[in-house]
Amino acid sequence: MSQADLSVPFRQRAGSAMKDAFLQEALTIATTKFIGLRREAFGDFPEGEKLRDVAREIKEATLQHLDRYLEQLIDNVERLGGKVHFASTAAEARGVILEIARQAGARMAVKSKSMATEEIHLNEALEQAGITPVETDLGEYIIQLAHERPSHIIAPAIHKTKGQVADLFSKELRRTVAADPEVLTKIARGELREKFLQADLGITGANFAIADTGTIVLVTNEGNGRMVTSLPRVHVAVMGVEKVVPSMTDLMVFLAILAKSATGQKLSVYTTLVQGPRRAGELEGPEEFHLVVLDNGRVDQLAGPLREALDCLRCGACLNVCPVYRQIGGHAYGHTYPGPIGILLTAMLSGPASVKELAHASSLCGACAEACPVRIDIPRMLIELRREVDETKIAPRTERAVFKAFGRLLTRPVLYRLAARIARLLQRPFVRDGAIRSLPLFFGDWTRTRDLPAVAPRTFHERWKELAREAPP
Amino acid sequence: MTTREEFMARIRAEMGKTRGLFPATPATRPEYPREEAEAIRAQLAERWPEALERFRREFEKVGGVFHRVPTLTEVPEVVTGIARAREARRLVSWHPSQLGADLGQALAARGLTPLPMPPGEATNPTERARLRQLVASAELGLTGVDLAIAETGTLVLRSGAGRPRSTSLLPAYHIAVFDRTALVESLAQVGVFLELWHADGATEDRGAVISFITGPSRTADIELTLTRGVHGPKEVHVIFVEREIRG
Repeated sequence: MSQADLSVPFRQRAGSAMKDAFLQEALTIATTKFIGLRREAFGDFPEGEKLRDVAREIKEATLQHLDRYLEQLIDNVERLGGKVHFASTAAEARGVILEIARQAGARMAVKSKSMATEEIHLNEALEQAGITPVETDLGEYIIQLAHERPSHIIAPAIHKTKGQVADLFSKELRRTVAADPEVLTKIARGELREKFLQADLGITGANFAIADTGTIVLVTNEGNGRMVTSLPRVHVAVMGVEKVVPSMTDLMVFLAILAKSATGQKLSVYTTLVQGPRRAGELEGPEEFHLVVLDNGRVDQLAGPLREALDCLRCGACLNVCPVYRQIGGHAYGHTYPGPIGILLTAMLSGPASVKELAHASSLCGACAEACPVRIDIPRMLIELRREVDETKIAPRTERAVFKAFGRLLTRPVLYRLAARIARLLQRPFVRDGAIRSLPLFFGDWTRTRDLPAVAPRTFHERWKELAREAPP
Repeated sequence: MTTREEFMARIRAEMGKTRGLFPATPATRPEYPREEAEAIRAQLAERWPEALERFRREFEKVGGVFHRVPTLTEVPEVVTGIARAREARRLVSWHPSQLGADLGQALAARGLTPLPMPPGEATNPTERARLRQLVASAELGLTGVDLAIAETGTLVLRSGAGRPRSTSLLPAYHIAVFDRTALVESLAQVGVFLELWHADGATEDRGAVISFITGPSRTADIELTLTRGVHGPKEVHVIFVEREIRG
């Protein structure tokens, strides 16, 4: 199963992913490599820790005055000859972009990698309107040929073998091509080069938008972002409302940590700062520049429980370190944004009910928060989501009963001590080498893949009492 | 259709509900970017050799090829050397007024084919299409450099009249010529220059794009195998000229 079917329960989707031997290998290799590269990059960059704090503060400062910075951004984009559009929902964003495409008479749109356009399912809408969308990031191009969705925020085709890619290319080009990344990349270069030169419309996302100067910033490694913003006659950039940053000075802080967190590069190969349409004297550049500012559930969170998730830079670092993502990959999550941050973003875009299963797809180990360049406390929000899911009675009845009882026990010392003594008796048949290896009945789910520590022969409480007797203060 | 007023009103309504926020400020911007930029230049007039060495190291790490010559006169020889080894001839260049030198004749004399480009924009759509095909057919792109960042091995290029965006993008081999006045040490210093370029609407005489280029175009999208030249150039060369180009 390469594409998640949401009618299948999450547990089953995850199970299928874990049985996919190639996917397992690909995930291990990729995430381990990304983790190593990131660690190395920050290891060589002592000021990185401080900059992560600064970056977080800039994000927070921007959200606190979001209205002001957005107004400033809009004014500046318009001053430079661009047009700004506002979309409250995904449907509205699609409508706006289709209208721009229609007015431009576009039959083909070249796109550089953009999670925002994935989020609003733009490609399907373009196709239905008779406009051919062409993904030009190599990974995105591959999954577009395969009719799939990205499985990683920055490495969308991480789940495909070179053999599978060669098959896709062979089918598309109606000739046999070798399963060699070098050859495949060269073929994609040739195919897509023609499209860059022909397309009337270029569509991008925005990694950042600078309020002070009206600049849209794109970060890519391949150079497709530069093509898409320079060659077609019309350029549309789609940005989430939270992507605005105050100034160029702020931008440099984010650039210093973004690529290091994503791929371990000091900077990505291309950082492209675009300020409106082509200027007088320039040989290339679009005649029209449009900026689509997207809400789609974000604005609700300005004062909501997921506010911190608005700080996300989409670097993918939390995916690589997540023990759940590393096992199941991106597709099993079933939504546009995978991984720990993806659960929060899904809840943001589609409501908490959409993540009633996913909210539990985390070990709460905290690795994501540690890896996050802007230190988003993802586990805290996951716990809150779980509580919300629980309060709305989405969790099974038995589970709620068990945890309620456990809660009572923990808040009543006498009962708790008594329970410990009883548990010590009851556990006897199951303990081997100081751990409970397997439990009967439905408790067996607990111990199927892990051991439960046994209740100690003497509890801490009991030892504390003894110690107090032996050494009176 | 959501209007600007409606959209902003929604944001303000939600912002009004937030509470318990910790005090936060954005990064401190240079108060006098011109003076700070001059101070950086003055410091680098002293310590440029260290910055250059660091630039070379980082640039080579990201797959760039570094060349060094005493004066502009030697540049055509290096360009021709790169071209010959790759059996490339067709070359597009920034306009001489932007490059700081007219190397066309010297390159042609050495067997290259410099493709004539206008100093500014195309006069009509047909001409624009023709020029685009011309650039697309070139194998070598010759540009100047606005900033060379030592910390990351990055070239910063501003687009504008006589500085087409495509020169550093469409040809397979990008060759950039610079001198020590382009060197800066850190991303933070670049921030000062970006602020300066945007102060008082000063950028309006330049093009709409600033490109940061850190090595050749690359991808690792197929089985994480690093491959160069996926869309942009597969090689990036710099030629450092010891004597100031606009001296």
